[in-house]
Amino acid sequence: MAHVELANVDKYYGHYHALRGIDLSVDKGEFIVMVGPSGCGKSTTLKTIAGLESISSGRIVINGRDVTREEPGDRGIAMVFQSYALYPHMTVAENMGFGLRMQKRPKAEIDQAVLRAAEILRLTDQLDKRPKALSGGQRQRVAIGRAITRSPEVFLFDEPLSNLDAALRTQMRVELSTLHERLGSTMIYVTHDQVEAMTMASRIVVFNKGIVEQVGAPLELYANPVNLFVAGFLGAPRMNFVSVRLGRIVDGTAEVAVDGGPTFQVPVVADLPTMPPGATLTLGIRPENIVLRPASAGTVPATIRLVEQLGRETILYVDAGLLKASSSESGTANLTVQTAEPRPLHTGEAIHLSLPENALFLFAPDGRRISRARPVFS
Amino acid sequence: MYPRPIPEESPRARLFYMAGVALVLLLWLLPLCAVMLTSIKSTEEIMAGAYWTWPQRFSLIDNYTAVFTQTAMARFFLNSLIITVPSVILVLILSTLTGFVLARYRFPGNWLVFALFVGGNFLPAQIMMIPVRDLMVSLGLYDTFWALIIFHTAFQTGFATLFMRNFISALPDELFQAARAEGASPAQTLIHVVAPLMRPALAALAILTFTFVWNDYFWAVVLTQSDTVKPVTAGLNNLRGEWTSAWNIVAAATIVVAIPPVTMFFLMQRHFIAGLTMGAVKG
Amino acid sequence: MTSVWRRQLRRISPFLFILPGALLFGTVILLACVETVYISFHDWDGMGAMRWIGFGNYAELIADPQFYVSLKNNLIWLALFMLAPPLGLALALLVNQQIAGMRIVKSLFFMPLVLASVTVGLVFGWVYDPNFGLLALIVQAFGGEPPALLSDENTVTYAIVLAGLWPQVAFCMVLFLAGLNNLSSDLIGAGRVDGARGLAMFRHVVLPQLTQVSFIALAVSVIGALRSFDMIAVMTAGGPFGSSTVLAYQMYEQSIFSYRFGYGAAIATVLFVIMAAFITWYLLMMNRMERRG
Repeated sequence: MAHVELANVDKYYGHYHALRGIDLSVDKGEFIVMVGPSGCGKSTTLKTIAGLESISSGRIVINGRDVTREEPGDRGIAMVFQSYALYPHMTVAENMGFGLRMQKRPKAEIDQAVLRAAEILRLTDQLDKRPKALSGGQRQRVAIGRAITRSPEVFLFDEPLSNLDAALRTQMRVELSTLHERLGSTMIYVTHDQVEAMTMASRIVVFNKGIVEQVGAPLELYANPVNLFVAGFLGAPRMNFVSVRLGRIVDGTAEVAVDGGPTFQVPVVADLPTMPPGATLTLGIRPENIVLRPASAGTVPATIRLVEQLGRETILYVDAGLLKASSSESGTANLTVQTAEPRPLHTGEAIHLSLPENALFLFAPDGRRISRARPVFS
Repeated sequence: MYPRPIPEESPRARLFYMAGVALVLLLWLLPLCAVMLTSIKSTEEIMAGAYWTWPQRFSLIDNYTAVFTQTAMARFFLNSLIITVPSVILVLILSTLTGFVLARYRFPGNWLVFALFVGGNFLPAQIMMIPVRDLMVSLGLYDTFWALIIFHTAFQTGFATLFMRNFISALPDELFQAARAEGASPAQTLIHVVAPLMRPALAALAILTFTFVWNDYFWAVVLTQSDTVKPVTAGLNNLRGEWTSAWNIVAAATIVVAIPPVTMFFLMQRHFIAGLTMGAVKG
Repeated sequence: MTSVWRRQLRRISPFLFILPGALLFGTVILLACVETVYISFHDWDGMGAMRWIGFGNYAELIADPQFYVSLKNNLIWLALFMLAPPLGLALALLVNQQIAGMRIVKSLFFMPLVLASVTVGLVFGWVYDPNFGLLALIVQAFGGEPPALLSDENTVTYAIVLAGLWPQVAFCMVLFLAGLNNLSSDLIGAGRVDGARGLAMFRHVVLPQLTQVSFIALAVSVIGALRSFDMIAVMTAGGPFGSSTVLAYQMYEQSIFSYRFGYGAAIATVLFVIMAAFITWYLLMMNRMERRG
């Protein structure tokens, strides 16, 4: 049975429909990461699980108990906030023991719980300090410690690492994963950082405009996004999208063509929507799958507009005149290429690109992916 | 920094500036200095009409002792304390409660309730004189400490609510969410989270309210009659009528009335200024 | 069961918290204002039964020359109190320097603010005394005849207002000092880099940042002007011959000394209407500023 379950959750702010029928079921011990652009409803969903936001309709179940109408303090959850939300007038120990104190637990029990959490988070030496005297990373750990002390059914994290600098963020990511392994608790985590999502999640939930677009393991989502939104949202640099025209479909393989350019054969799913021949579709390819080649049949000529040297690899923004991007972001450049080409590349240089057919995605006019699913490790 | 700081390396400019400021300050406080000067003069000198000369004999102790022994000022002073201290405490308690609710709970009419508190507080108190006096008479509280305590508490709660609401609004939202997520009830949140964070605001509000209540004259004359309840401001004005020619004594009494608020002000100047500007600037 | 009870308690606790304050403020302050309007339609001596006379008090008020004296004096108070913000700003600019000793200088400038208005009234009564007052002393030093400001119908109100301005200027000064401390040093720096100085700097860079503080200083000065009572009571008791009364004082006199509570209430109602109009305007402006951020 699911440990946390959201059933058909709707949330309105006045007339604004913030959450539209969210269904989500989380197993015990999972690390769920909710991602999406700002305003997509991920934080709102987290707050409805916490009980900090009420819901307009639907049901929320935690550990088999309907908690829809319960107070946050009674739901068996603990939350870690973006700003840490430490009480500035309390010491670290008092901050961590506050929740148990509110439940009027005996002092010995509180002390023991605080000490245990402090040991896990290496805060034993800081217990008598005020939050003001701590570094950002230490404050973050106190906030996590405060959650641990309550030994909740579910941990909720609201962008907890976004106030930390890059180095600390990497370190805390590892610590959080370790903590999850050690405690084995259910954790639900909101972030806008896809690296955090990809590295920590057992499953990722992608939100967009108040609905759940897709739920799945990180690599599954990366390999088989259900639609254009998920395909474009996960992966950096972003997936390239090119407008193509549908030709014939033979034996589960669609032939698509760039106007006045090359044609591609893409294996497609069985239950295709009805599309007239000549319909405009979107072809997707990730930047790291485009290959630089000497000119030959099937390659596409392109001009480099901008070069970003990252050391081990290079990002090229190129203008491949024939390939009309469905949305262009950087002037005349319409394609992003990530390459480990060992020779130096220069702006203005003419190159030839090859788009391997086994790395292509195809999307129907309504955005749905129609290229056939691939095994995660291919 | 505006205006441009006067450079440290130019002692002449500094001297010139300080002299200018000192002159303006002297003019600004001249009336007060005059009263202080009068308050340490001997009765003989005053009788002789030598008001503005340097005192030939300092009668500081004589005059101030006279204020407390020969006049009813000691009684008035005590009355003022009996009225002011409970009023301040009650205002702090009530306004913390109202301010907390208005700052942290969205409910229909929230803004209206807040606007009524603020608006009522801006009204000239004289508008309420007739009904309030009537109310105190019919409650049997006219000419008792309670009449003034109740009125001052009620009236100051308006300003104090504005003040507290703005202060609590400025506290980060997530702090309250955290408390709620940890199961703290509204009362527990108020006691364990809000109250400790409000100590500076409470200090500021306390001395502001103290000053306002202590300095009140209008309600003192409207709601009290007898010397046993009359606060120090009304008492001072009576004193002036009784001791018409003993200006030195009246001057000393004037200074005595001013001592508590001025002392409070100098002791807690930062809080006073912060309170005054926060109450006004944010409102 | 306990959970249900806790949830109920949580729901009603905001209501319980706000109740005592709202009840006290509502009955003693707000209800009293409404009651004042009600009483103004009656003939009442403050003790016996009230007799409904409709607009009788107002009809009498319109024909009462004393009412126009009060109204005119209220206007003088209001007009002259508009000097408090600029004077306060001037003093704030004068002392806004970080030099050793400035802190105490500032406190001394603020002092009139914490004095009781009775004290201020007494102090200025002294200053104005034609026999031994400070003013008389100064005028005599220049060979003039000392004026009796407080017993001259033409000067008395101005003399009292001047005394009233003393703490009011200090109040505005406190506000403007806070405003000056909140100036964006980046903007000032940018202004200096752009070559703005003197008056141009003040007008185009500094003043725009003080808009909100100026608005508040203006508002508290209007309120201060309309509240004027204590100083008049202490310095002249409305005299000579009622020439220095304002609405608040006339109301007090009519009620407490002449036992004409209905008539007093009518005067209070006029004051209430003036003030209510101002407060409505103020709250609307405040709301708009808050929305604009």
